[in-house]
Amino acid sequence: MAGTTEVVRLNVNGDTREVGVPTHYTLLETLRYVLALTGSKQGCDKGDCGACTVLLDGVPTLSCITPVWEAEGKSVTTVEGLAGPSGPHPLQDEFDLNGAAQCGFCTPGILCSAAALLERTGTPTRDEIKEALAGNLCRCTGYTKIYDAIEAAAERMSAAG
Amino acid sequence: MSHKSKSDLRLIGKSQRKIEGLAKSTGRAVYTDDLAFPGMLHGKILRSPHPHARILSVDVSKAEALPGVHAVVTGADMPVPYGIIPWTPDEYPLCVDRVRYIGDGVAAVAAVDEDTALAALELIDVEYEELPAFFDPVDAVEADGSTPFIHDAKKPGWNGNVTKKVKLEFGDVEELMDSSAVVVEDDYFFEGTTHTPIEPHCAIGMWEPDVVDGAGHGGAGTVVGGSIAAEGAIEGSSIVRGSPPGARNAAASADGQTATASPAKASAKPGPGGPAAPPGAEATNRGKLTVWSATQVPHYLHRELSRVLDVDSARVRVIQPLVGGAFGGKSEPFDLEFCVGALAMKTGRPVKILYTREEVFYAHRGRHPFHMRYRTGCDQEGKLQSVDAKILLDGGAYASFGLVTTYYSGQLLCAPYAIPAYRFDSTRVYTNKPACGPKRGHGSVQPRFAFEVQLDRLAERVGLDPIEFRRRNFIGEHTRTINELRITSNGFLECLEAVERASGWSKKFRAMPFGRGIGVAGSTYISGTNYPIYPNEMPQSAVQMQIDRSGRVAVFSGASEIGQGCDTLVAQIAAEELGIPIDYVRVLRGDTDFTPVDLGAYSSRVTFMLGNAAIDAARKLRKLVIDAVADHWEVKSGEVLLAGGYALWVPDTSRQMPVREAFNLAEARHGALGATGSYNTPKDVHGEYRGGTIGASPAYSFTAHVAEVEVDPDTGVVHVKSIWVAHDCGRALNPILVEGQMEGSAYMGFGEALMEQQIYKDADHGRAGLHDAPSLLDYRIPTALDTPELESLIVESIDPEGPYGAKEAGEGPLHPSIPAIANAIYDAVGVRMTRLPFSAPSVWRGLNVARENGTLGKPAAPSRQGVEV
Amino acid sequence: MLRLPPFRYHRPESVGQAVGLLGEHEGDVMLVAGGTDLVPNMKHRLFEPGHLVALKGLSELGGIREEGADLRIGAAETLSAVAASPTVRRLFPSLADAAGHVAGPQLRNAGTLGGNVCLDTRCTYYNQTEFWRNALGYCLKKDGTVCHVTRVGKKCVAAHSADTPPVLMTLGATLVLTGPDGTRDVPIRDFFVADGIANTRRLPNEILVEIRIPLAAAGRRAAYAKLRQRKSIDFPLLTVAVAADVDADGVVRGIDGVVTALGSRPRELTGWADLSEGRTLDDDLIDELADRAHKQCHPLENIIVDPEWRRAMVPVFVRRALEKVRAA
Ligand SMILES: Cc1cc2nc3c(=O)[nH]c(=O)nc-3n(C[C@H](O)[C@H](O)[C@H](O)COP(=O)(O)OP(=O)(O)OC[C@H]3O[C@@H](n4cnc5c(N)ncnc54)[C@H](O)[C@@H]3O)c2cc1C
Ligand code: SF4
Ligand code: FES
Ligand code: FES
Repeated sequence: MAGTTEVVRLNVNGDTREVGVPTHYTLLETLRYVLALTGSKQGCDKGDCGACTVLLDGVPTLSCITPVWEAEGKSVTTVEGLAGPSGPHPLQDEFDLNGAAQCGFCTPGILCSAAALLERTGTPTRDEIKEALAGNLCRCTGYTKIYDAIEAAAERMSAAG
Repeated sequence: MSHKSKSDLRLIGKSQRKIEGLAKSTGRAVYTDDLAFPGMLHGKILRSPHPHARILSVDVSKAEALPGVHAVVTGADMPVPYGIIPWTPDEYPLCVDRVRYIGDGVAAVAAVDEDTALAALELIDVEYEELPAFFDPVDAVEADGSTPFIHDAKKPGWNGNVTKKVKLEFGDVEELMDSSAVVVEDDYFFEGTTHTPIEPHCAIGMWEPDVVDGAGHGGAGTVVGGSIAAEGAIEGSSIVRGSPPGARNAAASADGQTATASPAKASAKPGPGGPAAPPGAEATNRGKLTVWSATQVPHYLHRELSRVLDVDSARVRVIQPLVGGAFGGKSEPFDLEFCVGALAMKTGRPVKILYTREEVFYAHRGRHPFHMRYRTGCDQEGKLQSVDAKILLDGGAYASFGLVTTYYSGQLLCAPYAIPAYRFDSTRVYTNKPACGPKRGHGSVQPRFAFEVQLDRLAERVGLDPIEFRRRNFIGEHTRTINELRITSNGFLECLEAVERASGWSKKFRAMPFGRGIGVAGSTYISGTNYPIYPNEMPQSAVQMQIDRSGRVAVFSGASEIGQGCDTLVAQIAAEELGIPIDYVRVLRGDTDFTPVDLGAYSSRVTFMLGNAAIDAARKLRKLVIDAVADHWEVKSGEVLLAGGYALWVPDTSRQMPVREAFNLAEARHGALGATGSYNTPKDVHGEYRGGTIGASPAYSFTAHVAEVEVDPDTGVVHVKSIWVAHDCGRALNPILVEGQMEGSAYMGFGEALMEQQIYKDADHGRAGLHDAPSLLDYRIPTALDTPELESLIVESIDPEGPYGAKEAGEGPLHPSIPAIANAIYDAVGVRMTRLPFSAPSVWRGLNVARENGTLGKPAAPSRQGVEV
Repeated sequence: MLRLPPFRYHRPESVGQAVGLLGEHEGDVMLVAGGTDLVPNMKHRLFEPGHLVALKGLSELGGIREEGADLRIGAAETLSAVAASPTVRRLFPSLADAAGHVAGPQLRNAGTLGGNVCLDTRCTYYNQTEFWRNALGYCLKKDGTVCHVTRVGKKCVAAHSADTPPVLMTLGATLVLTGPDGTRDVPIRDFFVADGIANTRRLPNEILVEIRIPLAAAGRRAAYAKLRQRKSIDFPLLTVAVAADVDADGVVRGIDGVVTALGSRPRELTGWADLSEGRTLDDDLIDELADRAHKQCHPLENIIVDPEWRRAMVPVFVRRALEKVRAA
């Protein structure tokens, strides 16, 4: 049942981690239950909701349907890895300031999608923001405050250069 | 209670960060499934593949024998019926002798991991005898007993498929209907929908049995190590043991007998030689049970766990980590919470169960499908005369909150418009489908849809603009409704005005080209139910506050933080009243071991009740501090103010001291500084008739929406461009959170209007009673690209009884979305949508009918000349 | 969690190795590219292979380049890459459009063009959990003996539900498949068969390596239209791809239309050539073509959405696609 266990070597939020995992584990299961990085959430476990979104080499990816082995040789960034030593990522701060996280369960996934967007373009339009979030369901906010937060973070980041 | 004006308030009324906001956005926030404990087992629940069947036998022996399996429980282990409403206990943690829907729980397994638990489920043999089932509420209500009812009839000769019938009449409905100038009558159907919080339900159970000689409390007294136990440490003496083969069911025996292996067996009287029960604790299972759960009602869960698992309630502890959304979907106990408890008791190990998304759809308790017939009359001037409603509620397999839902289906319609005569006749029936319950706007969203569409029709018939029509019928403030409920503040007219202005209504209504339309609707909702679910005189909400020498204030709050911001609310109130910065407040929350009872996050009660309780506690403390400072300065207490981190002498504010010093002065004078605060509802606000307490609330919120749509006449696709939401929340204590509730509500209503439906296959489509598609792919909730622009317009009526004048904002703003969209579709293409959802196929069918009837097109603008009767 | 069945994950370094692995574990092995279709299906226990052979890292399956008379797109290129590729957008905007409308952003970042071409068919009675299908009594396509859609017969009619194949068909693309016996080219028009259980001519031991689109097709005016409930995430309820050769005078010299999400393979609309030969794409012709499409398309209840409405949408979406072609 448990299948076979093998060692996987991951680079997560800058740390190299070697851990034994059952070979049929997903990246999400490994992050949450093996590495105790519980920031990434699970809402459907089959690719429908976006709560488990992480960045694989900077690209938003659904970790619940990614076999853990696909992350080998790539850098994995989770919500825990967005903040720097000096404080939260501007997006994280603006999400708080703008009330963009109500229950907060969709938030880690949305932040990953948003962070990738802001890497691509420093001044996203509202339509671009909607497109970037179109695979992340949020049941609480109606998305409006999330757009506000992303716009505010973009402004802050471009002001900071 | 008198209220300060806005200028006197420093933190209240201004947008604040949430105290757990950064934890949420950095991934540090802890939800139930984020917890893990040493030795933790994983549970899974076996579910019925039949919609209605007798359980003839359950054989778990093969499952128990599977390596890695630690325990299996079945219905026989917990044969105690429960139900959130004490008068309708009709379900069991696991089915005992009958299953009533596809997905009903039958047995549960705890194993070393989920894969093993799943494999064990396949080894459980259940023998069923299938029974004829009821899927259609009309069939259920007409059943003659020739096949078994879904539940036993309450009295011989009654229909066991009926949960509740309510028929109430106020004023002379027939007479006023007859004398009305215009009467409209229609059938409406509101499809069932479900909450779909993004977090699936999850619970963890832990059992610490008494040591063999411990006659109760001594052995298992618990020391709470850290501040918030939810952070994961196991405290106190650990009872976690390995499970030697063959002995695993005997682990954790409280009284030296292996009887605790099964809580049910253990519920027999303690065996000879067993320890004597301490006074007041009749429960047989001796030990301490802790359950962590993503629940929005820890207090009710606490009570039911104690009762069903037969553990002294003083030794049951419910911990509520942060909850990833609820919306009413986590507002009663669920099978997993009992199962983790029972399995932990049986194994002596912590046990976690996490629902799959599919199981969330089976747990359901979402919006009831309503079949409604409405007849509404008004006079020549558009004044409402009489309303007559007949409603059939499709309840699913269990009662849940159904008794209340049945009342709410009628009771909450009597504002914001004055209705001289009103009757409703509502019947809730059981069907063999997952149970319906309370979803955001419990029981009143469905009738509001029907009624507001009726109003639109009446306005049209009397040639009035629908906003003007609503204005004319305004019930006013500080009044009683026809069903005798007390209304206090009422900002509905301001709400109408706000949406009228913001939407550009006057230029758009009946004036945009064919295919584009605009619609309006209004509503009201309760700020908490006036009465608790089980009758008692105790407060509905309470907090405890404690001042530390450092200047910090700890607030112990049992309120349920489900994303709405109630933890921030109490921090804000403590800071406001005690003059400290908000980050000097620590909120210790959600743990029945140390937080006072709050009844839960339902019926929009939290801000109103918790807020008042927090004010009560904070003002008691403030008085102690102010008195001490006044004494010290030898001035009058009334001249001392706590603000901005200082105690100030109002006549000359250069005389001041840091608030910490003030706290120290007070502590020196009064001893350790702590206070409790509580809130209970006024008892004279309901109607004097049977059922007149249901729907009563200390205050009501009011809402108006305008929705603007585009309807594609070729496809039936409705594109909702914008929704303007004006909501009278009394006072917006934290405006950004209020807006968040308004936008989230409008979003959820919009989803129900256009796409959501919790539906089941029928016999012609696979198998009757099978959920149509229990996934977030096929149960569609709107994505960012679907969601309209949402504009929230806060209206503040300053309620005399709300905390600083506040009322609810979490559920009311959902109601008008749906009828506003329906009315906008009519304005766009002349098609009246009477059935939900307004999905493209159903609008397309409506368009086709209109095309055939020649009614397709832009409806005529209001004439206000004459009445076309 | 929704558990995956146990499997070993192989990451070969070449197509040759991958083919070797397919042979080695024959009968108990599947290919995985982005996994966005396969992994959910495995979680539903629709497939339980003991071995997965990963294609994502193979350089032979990557690249978007003009070579010879073709545009060659590696089968493991992601849908995001295809949608964003300046070359694809310039030469074959309707393909970029289709790829950009598959699922949602994260799924397009992982999902591949090859996976989209090889996508399993879908059905309301099939894409469900093991528990659900057990309660149903299973169906012909997996573990059962009846079809709940047709309720008679022994044929599965699960819906072909991929967005890009109809476009690739109108562009005359060719699929390059590599197996133990070497490589063969299959025109995508011949690739699909009307069998919901296995709807392609790919052999179990073959790998789709490349999709080739003749550069000559870049001269066609092509368009794509998709009907779905939500503006993101959802599979198509109907997909229409059309492409026309229009001469300098606006006269139609050739025209193709493909509709999918109805039956088990994309349907090539017939009778269009004779209707349009020598005519311009005016409203009348568009109506006639749409009407012809309507007559040929009969949606089934393999998707849980009102089949009458879906049928009525065929001419509407064909018309919309043709209007885009006219405007192109
Ligand atoms: C929520 C959701 C929504 C979706 N919406 C859409 C949609 O709107 N439109 C749509 O078209 N799809 C949709 N999909 C399906 C899927 O994401 C895409 O079709 C994607 O292109 C599949 O590619 P993949 O690389 O992930 O395929 P995989 O999942 O890796 O593979 C799919 C199948 O193809 C086989 N295969 C893959 N690559 C090859 C190859 N090179 N050679 C031979 N066989 C191969 C695999 O063995 C497997 O059987 C959706 C999926 C989800 C989860
Ligand atoms: S079409 Fe019939 S056989 Fe095929 S998947 Fe659907 S129900 Fe099963
Ligand atoms: S949990 Fe991964 S998409 Fe929902
Ligand atoms: S904040 Fe709750 S789901 Fe988005």
